[in-house]
Amino acid sequence: MEILIYGAVTSAIYAMLAVGFTLIFGVARVLNLAHGSFYALGAYSAYVLTTLAGLPLWLAALLSIGLVAVFGILVEKILIRPQRESQLGVLMISLATALVVEQVLFLTFGSEYRNVPAFIDTKFNLWGVDVAGQRLLTLAVAVVAIGGLYAFIQFTRLGSAILAISQDPLAAKYMGIPSDRIFSLVMGISAGLAALAGVMAGPFLSVQPSMHLLPIVKAFAIVVVGGLGSIPGSIAAAFMLGYAETLVAYGISGSWTEIVSVLATLLMLVFRPAGLFGKRAAF
Amino acid sequence: MKTFKGLDAVSSWAGLAALVLLAVMPVVFTSNYLVGVLTVAAIYGIWSVSWDFMSGLTGRENFGHSLFIGVGAYAAGFLNVQFGLGPWWSLPVSMLVAMVFALVLGFPTLRLKGPYFALAMLSSAVIMQRLMLIFWEYTGGEEGIQDITPLIANHLHYYWFVLAVLGIVTLLLSWLAKSRWGLILRAIRGDEATCLAAGLPITHYKILSLVISAAFAGLGGALYAHYQLQVSPQLFAVVTSITVITMVYVGGMGSIYGPVGGALLLTVMTEGLRDFGEWRLMVYSMLLIFILFFLPNGIIAPVWHKWRHKGQQP
Repeated sequence: MEILIYGAVTSAIYAMLAVGFTLIFGVARVLNLAHGSFYALGAYSAYVLTTLAGLPLWLAALLSIGLVAVFGILVEKILIRPQRESQLGVLMISLATALVVEQVLFLTFGSEYRNVPAFIDTKFNLWGVDVAGQRLLTLAVAVVAIGGLYAFIQFTRLGSAILAISQDPLAAKYMGIPSDRIFSLVMGISAGLAALAGVMAGPFLSVQPSMHLLPIVKAFAIVVVGGLGSIPGSIAAAFMLGYAETLVAYGISGSWTEIVSVLATLLMLVFRPAGLFGKRAAF
Repeated sequence: MKTFKGLDAVSSWAGLAALVLLAVMPVVFTSNYLVGVLTVAAIYGIWSVSWDFMSGLTGRENFGHSLFIGVGAYAAGFLNVQFGLGPWWSLPVSMLVAMVFALVLGFPTLRLKGPYFALAMLSSAVIMQRLMLIFWEYTGGEEGIQDITPLIANHLHYYWFVLAVLGIVTLLLSWLAKSRWGLILRAIRGDEATCLAAGLPITHYKILSLVISAAFAGLGGALYAHYQLQVSPQLFAVVTSITVITMVYVGGMGSIYGPVGGALLLTVMTEGLRDFGEWRLMVYSMLLIFILFFLPNGIIAPVWHKWRHKGQQP
């Protein structure tokens, strides 16, 4: 039972991170190594706005998500767009951005862990398991956020434009879809989602400057297992990886969880490079 | 992006002169501090040149070079401290260990197009660093492995040894880069599909060049371990890879000799920033962004290239 609940929470966080990561890749063919920085920035700005500026938590959370989304759009516009014709240029520039963000956080806040306040402090007893309210809330928020995003993409005009670009960028351009504006929008959504994950997970995970690296590793593993660019694939893979890690943590030992994602990535690349739900491996 | 030809008479003389100058410098100034800085610079030179051989030539960027550097250094540390073997064993063994890692990672990822290789390397380096901390009973955790015996006790002599290794590695790799082999690697960077159509086993070439690159990175790692006399998980950090990549970019990608210059230049230049260590990484990241935007060909290789051919092209 514990495995079921904790696995679901871990998976939900991974899903929030991986969906944004795969979305911007699917639409703009941008592999954003600064994605983890958005997660870190979300957690840090929630910390600053509540603890230092004294805002109520819900307002701080909304503000941080908004701020990080704007930051993401700026990064895309100023740094990533000029490099877009070369895949490696994008990788380099986004990794350099991630390190600059890490260093700025380090220089302002130091390397010690920070506490982000939780929305709910009470513990709930579910089927005989004590679960912190914050974890349950994270699960609920993730379901709502990803569900909302899915509905937005499937059922709105703007969503169809996003889908169209991811299917065939050139044809979409000929149909008069302003692809640059869509990229900015998607980048904003992707950054906001990562920040949401940071705000929600901040209270029970460690918040410190180098926290952006592990999410990138996890997001990459999930995206490889699920298939690059496939949103349903990355949600399914997020749950597989989340549960696999939780099982390993309970069954063997917490130390071995980190190996799961790398092993999954390598095995997947050897046997089925396209991923479980991806259409093609190479592009 | 331009690619640069390997060695000719003038370049080899210039390289030899630079090597001699570097070797004599600490004797003239008789400063232990300078010896230390230059030793580190030469080791960074080995790392940069080995990165450039794989990634600069084939255009497949390796974001986890620190993985090879780290396993090389840890292999040296383990052999020396746990198993009590003499320090000279470290050099071949660390090369071998790094090569094994390169094979395991290169085989699944280099067959594929796209960013899988770059990302898989980055992930593996991050995970390796975590593993070093998690299995602290064996690896020493945050402290790493201490009390490694020096390869050569005299610092100046060790510096000369490292410099000689740097010279040999650079010579070997530029020769390889200039040979038919290097031509194929460069062709892979230009157009993989065409190479495939020409019947070249490009995956073998890519994996082999990664293995060679890893071997020298591991060698550099072992040299570093025997210089610092300790290894720490910090070697696996992403900043190590980024530092090396920045040096290559400053030097000029794919030119082999450029990155050596880049490594020497940047190590000596940023030595001034060592007092505020945190800012140093900031400077590197900013410099990398700046170079990507304004000088995609780097600094050293284009300047040298221009100067070399000034007389020939009126």
